[in-house]
Amino acid sequence: MNRYLKLVNFEFNRFFKLYIVLVIVTIIMQIFAVIVESRGYMREAKNVIYGDMMSKADFIKNYEAFTMQRVVQSNWFYWSIALCVVVLLIYVFFIWYRDWLGKNSFIYRLLMLPTARLNLYFAKATAILIFVFGLVALQLLLFLIEMQIMKWIVPAEFRVDLPIKEYTDFNYLSVILPGSLIDFLLFYGMGIVAVCVTFTAILLERCYLLKGIIFGISYGLVSVGFFLMPLLIDTFVLNNYFFPVELFVMEVIAGIIVLIGAVWIGNYLLKYKIRV
Amino acid sequence: MQGGIPMIEVKNVTKKFGRKEVLKGVSFTAEKGQITCLIGINGVGKTTIMQAIMSLIPINSGEIFIDGSKLTKDSYEKITFIPDTITMLPQMRIGDAFTFMADFYQSWNQKRAEELLEFFKLEETERISELSKGNTAKVNILLGLALDVDYLLMDEPFSGIDIFSREEIANVFTSHLIEDRGVIITTHEINDIEHLIDKVVLIDNGIVLKEFHVEEVREKEGKSVIDVMREVYEK
Repeated sequence: MNRYLKLVNFEFNRFFKLYIVLVIVTIIMQIFAVIVESRGYMREAKNVIYGDMMSKADFIKNYEAFTMQRVVQSNWFYWSIALCVVVLLIYVFFIWYRDWLGKNSFIYRLLMLPTARLNLYFAKATAILIFVFGLVALQLLLFLIEMQIMKWIVPAEFRVDLPIKEYTDFNYLSVILPGSLIDFLLFYGMGIVAVCVTFTAILLERCYLLKGIIFGISYGLVSVGFFLMPLLIDTFVLNNYFFPVELFVMEVIAGIIVLIGAVWIGNYLLKYKIRV
Repeated sequence: MQGGIPMIEVKNVTKKFGRKEVLKGVSFTAEKGQITCLIGINGVGKTTIMQAIMSLIPINSGEIFIDGSKLTKDSYEKITFIPDTITMLPQMRIGDAFTFMADFYQSWNQKRAEELLEFFKLEETERISELSKGNTAKVNILLGLALDVDYLLMDEPFSGIDIFSREEIANVFTSHLIEDRGVIITTHEINDIEHLIDKVVLIDNGIVLKEFHVEEVREKEGKSVIDVMREVYEK
């Protein structure tokens, strides 16, 4: 097996236990969200129908039929997603810093591996991507389970069963579960660029320490500025001169340039400037 | 390589940390098949030199050659560094560390690793985080020695460990485990290995004060390493 894949496997295993905990917590929170929301709805229905003597039809007319949308918008569901996002965001930093900090001097070993140091960079980025896609796949699977639980609690006459896409199109989930291939490539492409820019900023800090913090932040800002440049120029200088499709192409090109720049600088730093 | 002799050559290396110049044009050679000892008080740049040789820190100027070539990723199959801190994850068992090394290094010699394990009286099932300081140092040395490399760089292998562990580690130098490899070692405990070393590089304040072969000085001038050190540092 080539050393890059071995490194990916190694990085994956290092986070695996924590990842499993995150997966379990997510499952518990989301299933809890379905149960709480479904039971809450049915309790309300019972109170209104039996207490206020309202017909089922009027109740559904006044209170709307139950859909997964209600679950998706609940706090428990929202926080489960936020938890995953926050943990992975922290891990983007932790995946590098843990090799330097504390009693751990594993960075010596990593830098002395007989493989291109850029493989460390790619392996860490790949591990992050695997974790992200793992959670996305889990979410899709959880939707099916959650819909089934919802069906057990809420009778058919009180609910409307819509396809998953309907719940994810008009809220924060549209970023995690994009509705089209173009959106998927765009959102996750931007995610990959953001991870690489962050990795390079971290390496700048590791190479130049205090000065590196300034370099890292400046580099991050320049990258974001460069990426947004077509949009900014079009909006503020050219007064919406370009067609959306032209802007889209320019944004993709800008993203690719930022990505190549991040990897190139990362490679240079790992090769010539890194310190243990 | 000078005259075709395999060696590590450090040429005019300078290194600054901020405004402080730690290495001010350090030059020396360490031949394969010899034990070269870098001696100097704390903070003179001994560890920095080793890190520079392994490309673990950038240098400001100068050149470093291993057998006539600059260090590349493939060089890590023929030169290794044993720092004074464990280079494996603390949660790993010794056996896991072996698997890691075997996965990444073609030069990993499992037979030798097992031999060293027995030599140091350690068990594969022991977790690194639960080892004593002395045993941690032994595992660190083991991981370096079990690689079939031409050069070994050892930074303070006797630092902070008990006398028995120190003896065990010193015994490595007289065993077949070192054989004809080139070793660069830094130590404060010169007494423990004075009889083992071939060459000494005395460093002070970022410069090489003196470079000499121990046997030559002993035979021609009747002086020990410590005598020479005293002479040089008192000047």
